Amino acid sequence: MASPAPIIVRDDAPAAPLPSRPTVIDADGVSRRFRRRLALDRVSLAVAAGEIHAILGRNGAGKTTLLRILAGLTAPTEGRVTVLGQDATSASRALRGRIGLLPSGDRSFYLRLSGLENLLFFARLNGLRKRDALERAHQVLASVGLDHAAEQRVGEYSHGMQKRLSVARAFLTEPDVLLVDEATHDLDPHAALVVHDLVRGAAERGAAVIWATQRVDEIRGFVDRVSLLREGELCFTGSVAAFAAHALVKRHLLTLRNGRPGVAVSEAMARRALGDFGSIAAAADGEPGHFLLRLADDAVLGDALAHLAAADLKVLACREERSDIETAFLELTGRA
Amino acid sequence: MSAPTVAADSRLAVVRDELAKLPAFLRRDLVVALSYRMSFVTEWIGLGVQTVLFYFVGRMVNPSVLPAYGGTRAGYLEFAVVGIAVGGFVTLALARVATGIRNEQMVGTLESLLMTPTAPTTIQLGTVFYDLLYIPLRTALFLVLTAALFGLDFHAAGFLPALTILLVFIPFVWGLGVANAGLILTFRRGSGIAGFAATMLTLASGAFFPLSLLPSWLETIARINPLAIAIDGMRAALLGGSGWTDAGIAIAKLAPFASVSLVVGFWIFGLALRRERRLGTLGLY
Repeated sequence: MASPAPIIVRDDAPAAPLPSRPTVIDADGVSRRFRRRLALDRVSLAVAAGEIHAILGRNGAGKTTLLRILAGLTAPTEGRVTVLGQDATSASRALRGRIGLLPSGDRSFYLRLSGLENLLFFARLNGLRKRDALERAHQVLASVGLDHAAEQRVGEYSHGMQKRLSVARAFLTEPDVLLVDEATHDLDPHAALVVHDLVRGAAERGAAVIWATQRVDEIRGFVDRVSLLREGELCFTGSVAAFAAHALVKRHLLTLRNGRPGVAVSEAMARRALGDFGSIAAAADGEPGHFLLRLADDAVLGDALAHLAAADLKVLACREERSDIETAFLELTGRA
Repeated sequence: MSAPTVAADSRLAVVRDELAKLPAFLRRDLVVALSYRMSFVTEWIGLGVQTVLFYFVGRMVNPSVLPAYGGTRAGYLEFAVVGIAVGGFVTLALARVATGIRNEQMVGTLESLLMTPTAPTTIQLGTVFYDLLYIPLRTALFLVLTAALFGLDFHAAGFLPALTILLVFIPFVWGLGVANAGLILTFRRGSGIAGFAATMLTLASGAFFPLSLLPSWLETIARINPLAIAIDGMRAALLGGSGWTDAGIAIAKLAPFASVSLVVGFWIFGLALRRERRLGTLGLY
C-alpha cells in the first residue's frame, strides 16, 4: 500500500505568535537560494517575547539557514525579516547587541585561549566593562558547570565542553532574542537539562527563543510552539499538542506466545497469522517472542491483534515503537 | 505589553565604545603570541642572520656607489639595515593585516565576532591592533640593537623623526593590507596580492641597493614609491642627521598615499563583507 502524502499545514496554520505578547521575530515570505539549490522557500514565522519556538527538520531542511538569516549573517534572497522592530538584514550594531546566537558548530572560539579568556574577550566586545566582564564570565562559566575548567585552554576542551562554553557566551548579556542551533547535540542528559533551564529562564525574562533541533524528543514540555521545515518549506506551525496529533502510529512492538505449549512463535507463523493487516518481523532486540508489527495504512491495531489471537498467537504485550512526537516528525517529513 | 525595540546610540558614544574594545583584542593577541614562544624566538634569530649576511655583503661593496646623506657617505650595512627594517616591516605588516580576517574565518571566529555589537571597522582594526603596535616596536628595536651590536653610526637625534615617518607610513601599508583582506574574503585562499605587492614595493624601494642603479625610467617610477620615500626619509634622518626638515618633506609626501590607501582599503573590505552576507558564505573558508 502507498504511504499517505505528507501533511502540509502551512496555509491553514497561520504562524501567529502567542496571543497577548508582542511579536519580536517576524519573518515574512523568506526565501534563500544557494546557486541552484533553494534552501528556504517562502517561510513565514512570527515569534513572541517570552516564547520558545522549536524549529524541527531533518539535516539540510533549512534550519541553520533560517537562523543565520534571523541573525543577520546571511541575507535572504526574497522576503522580509524584522527582529525587535528592525530589518534583520541591516545587521546593525545595536541590533546585534540584543541577539544571542548559539551556533551549531564548535569552531567559534580561540583554541589557544582559556575558556575564561575567551568569555572575557567576547564580554568586552559585547560592551561590558573589564570588571563586569570578569564577574559575568565567572558567573556564566559556573552556570554551565565549567568553572573548574575556566583556566584550561579551549583546545583541550571536549566537544561537549565547547558546546557548554558556547551556551555560556550566549548568556554573557541578557539577549532579547536567542537563536539556538542544535544546542544539546554532544551534551550529556544533565548538561542538556542545564541548558534547557537557562533557556527557559531567558524566556521567562521575556526573550524570544528559536530552538532549532533534530532531537524531537526534547521539545515536549520545553517549547511553546513548534515549526517543521521540510526541504526548505515550512510544513507545520503550531502547538506541540497539535504537532503530536499528526502522529499516525504504525509500528508496535509485540510480545507473542504460541497457544500450543512448547512451540516457539516463528516469523513465518506470525506473518501468516497477520495476513493483509501489515508486516511483521522479529524485533531488533533479538529476544524470543518479540516482534515488530508495521500496520498497513488502512489497518486498525485492534483488528490486527484479534487476527493474531485467532491464529492461537497470544499477545502478551503491545507498545508503540516511538514517541508520538517522533512519529509526527517522520509523518510530516514524509519518512514514516 | 509593548514590543521591545532597538535604540540608537549617539555617534560619539559609539566611537568611545568601539575604541574601548581595542584593548580586548590586544590582550587576546598578546596571550596567543606568548603561547607561540618558539615562533617569536625564531623570528628574531632570522632577522639577526639576515643582518650578519648583509654585514659580509657590505664588506664587498664600495661605499662610493652609495648615496650620501647630509654630506656623509654611510657604509653598506648602515644603508641596508634601514632597508631591512622598513622592508621587513612592510612584508610582515602587509601579510598580517591581509590574513588577520582570513585567520578569523579559518578558525571559525569571524561570525562570532560579527554577532557582537562591534563595527566591522573595529573588528578589522582590532584583528591587527597587536601587529600595528608590535611591528613598529620591533622595527625600532631592531635598528637600535643592530646599531649597538655592529657599531653603526646612526644619529641619535634622527630616531624620533625616523619613527614619525614610519608611523605616517603605517596607514599606507594598513590600507593595502585591508584591501587585500577584502580580496581574500572574496577569493578565499591567497589572492597572492600581498606577497606580490610586498615584492614589487621592496624591489623598487632602494631598500638593498641605491635607486640610481635602476634603469632611469624605473628609477623615476621608484621615486614615487611610498616605501622608497619612507626609506629615503628615514635614512636621511638616521644616517645624515637631517632632522625634522627632511622628515617633514617625507611625511608630506607620504600623507596623501596613506589617506587614499586607508580609505580605498576599507571601502574594498566593506564591499567584500556585504557581498559575503548577501551570498551567505561568510563562514565558508
